[in-house]
Amino acid sequence: MIEATIYKALGDPIRLEIVKRLSITSTSTIGDISTDLGISRQGARKQLQVLVNANVVHLMQKGRQTHVILDTKTLQIASSFISQLERQWDNRLEALKDFVEESNSD
Amino acid sequence: MQNTIEREITMKASKERIYEAIANPEYVTQWFPETLEGSYTVGEQPIFGFGDHGKNQICVIAAQPHEYFAYRWVPGASNFLGDVLTVPNTLIEFRIAELADGTCKVTLTESGFADLPTELMEAAYKQNSGGWDFMLDRLEKYIETV
Repeated sequence: MIEATIYKALGDPIRLEIVKRLSITSTSTIGDISTDLGISRQGARKQLQVLVNANVVHLMQKGRQTHVILDTKTLQIASSFISQLERQWDNRLEALKDFVEESNSD
Repeated sequence: MQNTIEREITMKASKERIYEAIANPEYVTQWFPETLEGSYTVGEQPIFGFGDHGKNQICVIAAQPHEYFAYRWVPGASNFLGDVLTVPNTLIEFRIAELADGTCKVTLTESGFADLPTELMEAAYKQNSGGWDFMLDRLEKYIETV
């Protein structure tokens, strides 16, 4: 489980923007990303490396172009951890509700 | 990415009663931890006990009667004992707001997930499925006694 690494990787506006775009197009090139976001290729590569380290994206060399592919499985891991905690809190709040509403009729 | 969880629930009870249920050590153990050791007051670090599921030390951050109660803890790691403030932790906040129809809205937020180290997340994740069953079980027992 690498949720914390994933959150850190996504906790940056530029990287989050890259992921958002990829979630629409599912694949892109480093050239496209740097043009779209108005950043240098060097800058795009640096940001992508963080996403690669967290397994959020994978890079594939195709001839002269480097393709960037989104790993949706990684994103699912991150979101399932959070939704599990959410369910847990829902449950605790239900127990609190039962308790205060019951004790009302004392 | 998501650093915060936010949940809301509406209750047919006064804000005083709800606040007491959250902030009074006698009442909080009726619906959340089984036991509470130490002083449940601002600045103190009491211990929530979850029976066989271990213990979790918390640090009470704020207590504003009938409106707001907050503490820090190590999420999911129900075996953490020590100074909560010296380790990565999350902030739990309860906010109570009165609605016009005599009910109250309780908002719960837990924040700080982005700063948790990977190994803690892993521990939390493993423990959470257990914690979830545990809470369901408690809830069921509680309803049965009513």
